[in-house]
Amino acid sequence: MSGAAVANEFAKMRRLRVWLIAVLMTLAVLGLSLFTVVSSPDFDPGSPGAWNALLAGMSLGIPLICPLLLAVIASRLTEVEHTGNGWLSQATAGITPGVMCRAKLVALGLVVTVTTLGTGLLVILSGKLLVGILAPPPLGRWTVFTLCMLAVNLVVLALHLLVSAKVENQLVALGIGVLGCVLAVFSQGLPTAAAHVTPWGYYALATAADYGGGGYIAVDVCYPSIIALAVVIGIAFALVTDRFDRQEA
Amino acid sequence: MSSAIVETTNLTKRYGRHIVVENLNLHIPAGCVYGFLGPNGAGKSTTMKMLLSLIQPSTGQVELMGRPMSRSSRRELLGDIGSLIEAPPGYAHLTGAENMALVKRLLGLTTEQIDVAVRAVRLQDQMTKQVRDYSLGMKQRLGIAMALAREPKLLILDEPTNGLDPAGIEEMRTLLRRLADDGVTVMVSSHLLGEIDKTADMLGILSGGRMIFQGSRAELMAASTPDVVFTCTDPHAAAAVLRGHGAQLTEADEVTVPGLDDRQTAGVVAALVGQGVGVFGVRRDEQTLEEVFMSLTAGGRL
Repeated sequence: MSGAAVANEFAKMRRLRVWLIAVLMTLAVLGLSLFTVVSSPDFDPGSPGAWNALLAGMSLGIPLICPLLLAVIASRLTEVEHTGNGWLSQATAGITPGVMCRAKLVALGLVVTVTTLGTGLLVILSGKLLVGILAPPPLGRWTVFTLCMLAVNLVVLALHLLVSAKVENQLVALGIGVLGCVLAVFSQGLPTAAAHVTPWGYYALATAADYGGGGYIAVDVCYPSIIALAVVIGIAFALVTDRFDRQEA
Repeated sequence: MSSAIVETTNLTKRYGRHIVVENLNLHIPAGCVYGFLGPNGAGKSTTMKMLLSLIQPSTGQVELMGRPMSRSSRRELLGDIGSLIEAPPGYAHLTGAENMALVKRLLGLTTEQIDVAVRAVRLQDQMTKQVRDYSLGMKQRLGIAMALAREPKLLILDEPTNGLDPAGIEEMRTLLRRLADDGVTVMVSSHLLGEIDKTADMLGILSGGRMIFQGSRAELMAASTPDVVFTCTDPHAAAAVLRGHGAQLTEADEVTVPGLDDRQTAGVVAALVGQGVGVFGVRRDEQTLEEVFMSLTAGGRL
C-alpha cells in the first residue's frame, strides 16, 4: 500500500462530510458524558471519585453513538467505489480492491483515532472547566480506557469497511451499524463472557466506570480481551483484503 | 506481419463447464485502431479483462509489448496501458479536476500530462463541475482522459460509445483516430460494427467466445461472397433458367444469384444468352460491412 493511495482516500473524503460526522460523534459523546453528571443528584465535584461519573458517561456514550457513525463513515467512503466504478478503474492502475480497503482503513483510522483521543481529552477539559471537578483526573485509567475504546472503534471500523466493500447495498452496512449500537449497549448488562461474543460487546469490556452502590464507581477495563480482539480482527482483515486482491473483476 | 503490441496464444477462460473465451489468438499491430467486435455476451469484456490481468485465463498466454502479462509483471505493464472497462470511472461527488488529481497522485504524473489528457478529450472547460452533473458523454471523455494521462502505448476501451448520441459517437471516432495518428494503439470493443468500422484499421470478430475473423476491412469484405445481381430483358425467364443456382427475383425486377465466383458468373451470363435472355447488367450486390458482420456472427461461417 502506497502513501499516494492513502492520500487519495483523504481526497475522496471531500464533500462526504466524514469530518462533520466525526465532530458530531465527539459532541454527542461529550454531551452524554455531561448529561450523566447533570442527571446525577449525588454528584459532588469535590469528591475524589467525581471523574467516575464522566467516565461512566463516556462508557455509555461511545457504544451508543460510535457503532452507527462508524458504519456511516465506512459506508460513505466505500460506496463511492461501487458507484464510481472505482474498484475496476483503480485495479487497472495497479491498486487492487484489497489495497484500497487497507488504504481506507488507514485514512479513516486516522480520523477515528483523532476523534476518539480528542473526545477523551475534551471530556477531561470539560470536567475541569465546565463541571469544576477539583480532584486531579485519573490520567492512567483514562488513557487505558481511551485506548481500549479506540481499539474497539478501529475493529468495528475495519469490519464495516469489509461489509461495505463486499455488499453493494449500503443499507445492509447501516443496518448492521444500528444492530451494533443495540448490541453494544445491551452488552453492558450481560455477563462478561457474553460480551465477548460480538465485536460490539467489547465496548462493554472497555467500560471504566459504572453505577453501583449508590454512586459511580471505577471498574477494571478488560484490556487483555480487547488486545486479543484487535489482534484477531487485524489478522482477519489482512486475510480478507488479501483475498479481495486475488478476486477476479 | 507487423510487430504486435498485443499477442495472445490460445487464450481461454472457462467458468466450470461454461467456456466464455476459447483459444483466442489475438494479434494487434502497434499503432493501429483495432475494432473488437461481437454480439453482447461474445466474450469481449472477458478478453479485455484478461489482457489487463483483472481476471486470470484458464489456459493460454497474454503478451503485451513483447512481455508476458502475469501477476508479477502486471503493475509495470499497466503503467503503459490506459483502459476504460465497463462503466466510465469517476467519483460523482468530486469535480473533474479532483478526479484527475487522484490519477495524478496515484501514478505520479505531472500537471502537464494531466492538462494534455484533458485537452485531448476537450473537457478543459468542465473540470470545475462535479462529475454527478456530467452527461454520459462527458463521463466517457473523463474516463478516457484518466486513461490517457499516463501517456499509454496501448489504450483498451470497452464499448466507449455505449449510451452516446450520434454526435457523441462521431466525436469518439474522431478522438480515437487522432490518438492512433499520435502513435497510440487503440483496442476498442463494440457490439455495433457501424460505430467503429470507419475508425478501425483492423477488425477482430468474436462470436460465442471464438474468433471468427481477424484482419482488415477489405479482408473482411473479401471473406464473404456477395450475391451477383443480373439486370436482363426477361427477369422471370432468367429466374426460371437459374433456379438451380438458387436465383431469386427482386422487387426491382432483377435476378440475384448467391455464391457465384467470377468464373461461374461468366458461365451464368452465357447460359442466359443461350436461352435468349438479353443481359445488360451484371454486378455484385453492395453489402455493407454491417451485413457481413451480421451474417458472420449469426452463422459463424468463417
